[in-house]
Amino acid sequence: MATYEVFLKKDGKDEFRHAGALDAANDEIALVMARESYARRAEGNLIWVANRNNIVVGDDAFVGANTDKPHRHHDGKAVAARRKQQREESNPT
Amino acid sequence: MEEFEAFLNDGGIVEAPDDMPDEYRDAVFTFIEMHANSELMGGLTERDWIPKTPGLRHKMSVVAKTQDEIGHGHLLYMVAADMGVKTRTEMLEDLFDGKSRFHNVFHYQAKTWGDQVAIAFLVDAAALASQQAVFKNCSYGPYRRILKRIISEEGFHMRLGEDRMMRIANGSQVQRDLFQDAINRWFWPSLQLFGPDSKPNDKLLRWHIKSERNEVLRDAWVQKFVPLLQSYGFTIPAPDMKFDETTNRWDVGPIDWEPLKATLAQGGPDSARRISEALSNWQQTAWVREALDAPAPEIAAMT
Repeated sequence: MATYEVFLKKDGKDEFRHAGALDAANDEIALVMARESYARRAEGNLIWVANRNNIVVGDDAFVGANTDKPHRHHDGKAVAARRKQQREESNPT
Repeated sequence: MEEFEAFLNDGGIVEAPDDMPDEYRDAVFTFIEMHANSELMGGLTERDWIPKTPGLRHKMSVVAKTQDEIGHGHLLYMVAADMGVKTRTEMLEDLFDGKSRFHNVFHYQAKTWGDQVAIAFLVDAAALASQQAVFKNCSYGPYRRILKRIISEEGFHMRLGEDRMMRIANGSQVQRDLFQDAINRWFWPSLQLFGPDSKPNDKLLRWHIKSERNEVLRDAWVQKFVPLLQSYGFTIPAPDMKFDETTNRWDVGPIDWEPLKATLAQGGPDSARRISEALSNWQQTAWVREALDAPAPEIAAMT
């Protein structure tokens, strides 16, 4: 038995989403179980199942390092202020 | 623990790999395990009725409902096993050994089709109301996400139950009597499913697993289902029931909690038979698990 994570895609427009997990003896049974457990009433039309052991996890400590990188953003405030000033100067009320 | 409780009060969501206090892990695990057991026992009850269900249309819906309930069991055992307290096999063994609990209503026997309709309507509604109250604000993420799917299916089980009740209510006197008998048997167990009044220091409330007190959910069920059953011309088996004109509310009178306590100790009227049936079902299906686990046979090359 192996544990599989199940992903489901709806109607061709949404992205695949995590639906849950299940235990199955092999890939083929995992697909059947995923269909019968998570897509019983047209909740989606495509399924991915992935053996949990094959999923590579980036944990909070790893991914979180990217939360403190302000130089990757620009809030646009200075640029917006300059444009606003320009608009006001060209259309004085 | 104080820090953890502050995190929960702040709307924090706990995921399976996260650190959590042992008391929280144990309480959430026991709650999910009981839910999983109840879905499995409920599914097996439903299965008993497949051959006896009148009419092909109803029979097919009972087959689908059986699959739904067993499926809910699967999903919940998965979520519970991921908490790392017991494996699924250990949970099933404890269930068959009478060491873990399942809902009181599955400790009674469904004797007639009327019982089956009453269960689909009264019991499913009570179970759905408690599940919704957990879903609303559950701090354990994996349980909350799986509840979303379970609740959507329980919702139409309940509508199916009301549809069946409508048919029985519009049927012959024999059918109506059959259903009145079923209400007499199932009204109190359904109401007791909510449990006695929540204690002031209820851990499940404090840790945002439940979002509503037992007595509040129970009362809401009474206010909805007493008038609904009466609107079909059925009576409620509560001799001390009163209607309060000032609050516009029904009071069912004192509740005897002894039957509920008996079921919690596996001493309900049908507990022993239910558990042994579940075990024999597990044993009868052992060959499927063995076949799935066996290595694929080697096939001689055809030359």
